[in-house]
Amino acid sequence: MRAGLEDVNALEVRDLGYRYPDGTAALRDVTFTVAEGERVALIGPNGAGKSTLLLHLNGLLPEHPAAAPAVRVFGTPVAEPHLTGIRARVGLLFQDPDDQIFCPTVWEDVAFGPLQLGLHGPELATRVARVLDQVGLKGFDERLPHHLSRGEKRRVCLAGLLACEARLLALDEPTSDLDPRGRRELKGLLESLAVAQVIATHDLELVVELCPRVIVLDRGGVVAQGPTAELLADEELMLAHGLERPHILRHRHPH
Amino acid sequence: MHRALLEPYQHQHSAIHRLSAGVKAGGALAFVLVIVLLPRAAWTAYAAAGALLLLLAGLSRIPPRALARRLLLVEPFALGVALLSLLQQDGLRVFAATLTKSTLCLFGMVLLSSTTRFSALLRVLWRIQVPALLVTTLALMHRYLFLLADETGCMVRARRSRTFSRDRASVWRSSASVIAQLFVRSSERAERIYAAMCARGWKT
Repeated sequence: MRAGLEDVNALEVRDLGYRYPDGTAALRDVTFTVAEGERVALIGPNGAGKSTLLLHLNGLLPEHPAAAPAVRVFGTPVAEPHLTGIRARVGLLFQDPDDQIFCPTVWEDVAFGPLQLGLHGPELATRVARVLDQVGLKGFDERLPHHLSRGEKRRVCLAGLLACEARLLALDEPTSDLDPRGRRELKGLLESLAVAQVIATHDLELVVELCPRVIVLDRGGVVAQGPTAELLADEELMLAHGLERPHILRHRHPH
Repeated sequence: MHRALLEPYQHQHSAIHRLSAGVKAGGALAFVLVIVLLPRAAWTAYAAAGALLLLLAGLSRIPPRALARRLLLVEPFALGVALLSLLQQDGLRVFAATLTKSTLCLFGMVLLSSTTRFSALLRVLWRIQVPALLVTTLALMHRYLFLLADETGCMVRARRSRTFSRDRASVWRSSASVIAQLFVRSSERAERIYAAMCARGWKT
């Protein structure tokens, strides 16, 4: 029996492990949950397994799915025959927007997902227009991807995910290589979205501003998870895992 | 330089630009077919076709220099093919006819690509049911050609900034490694693009 959607977590990861094809362990016993509409940060040093973990959220990894999958999205196991449905629900934002925008024009790229889902004609056009407006790219329909700025590309990627009506966003370093304005705009955009979000990032100020809860990942395992203010203020923990206490927390003393 | 080479489309406000991509593509295809099927010595017809193209080029308001540059760029290929015909009997005539025919066809294509966005042409191909795999491949190629050009530019610059000898052999060696790097990077990117496509519902 499947429980009603309201009491099901957006994401449940239980004892997830993964080895690269060459045998190196990339993830070990990763366990956490994300509630519907919750925003959680995934932090940790380079090579901790953040990107690898995100690829598991919609079944791009492992290459050979196990019989009992370790990841459940809105209660549905991430495995065949549910993968198509899962991939529409989980919007994965890749680190390099140039990998993600593969269509000749912005409009076509945003329409790619919904088209795969069987949307056509005016319904498709309305959907694309709505999300382009939502990410602040009205009138960009015919623009060519290689003429866009980094921030604009990032927003096209996000529009492509929103167009599939994703209910869980998995974002891989969304603010890396954005200028301050691009970063601010993206932050505002993520803040305005009411869907669950897992944000893998090194931008600890963003974590403080956006996410009430963090998960610290190192060498493929979860080393800590809890309230952001508490964990990020723990200097010892931060330094032990290649992180540091963000400035924004140092200056937040009550006056 | 790369950009200008890779992007033939020249934006202008003209009647030719406003014509639908389907009409232009169909017209260009018909034009090429007619030229190819004309008898070898139909010089008046060639002249008429040339005049027609010049008229269209004028109407398109694209600077003649830009069109001429693109034509010159692709002309060596036509010349190469025509040169081969010199080997056969009555070679000079065949050579002249082949060169004229191919120049007219190339000019027609240059005109089409300068007045029509590539994405619009792709949509025409899609509409007339050209196999999806072919259209997708063309679309991806067009999308990533620019990126590849940029990446090459960056790598060549980075190499150059650390190359201090003018020794030809070392220049060749470093070019070879740039090409090898580019190949590895492209194949890795291809994998990431494929993952991104699957993430948005691409069915295999």
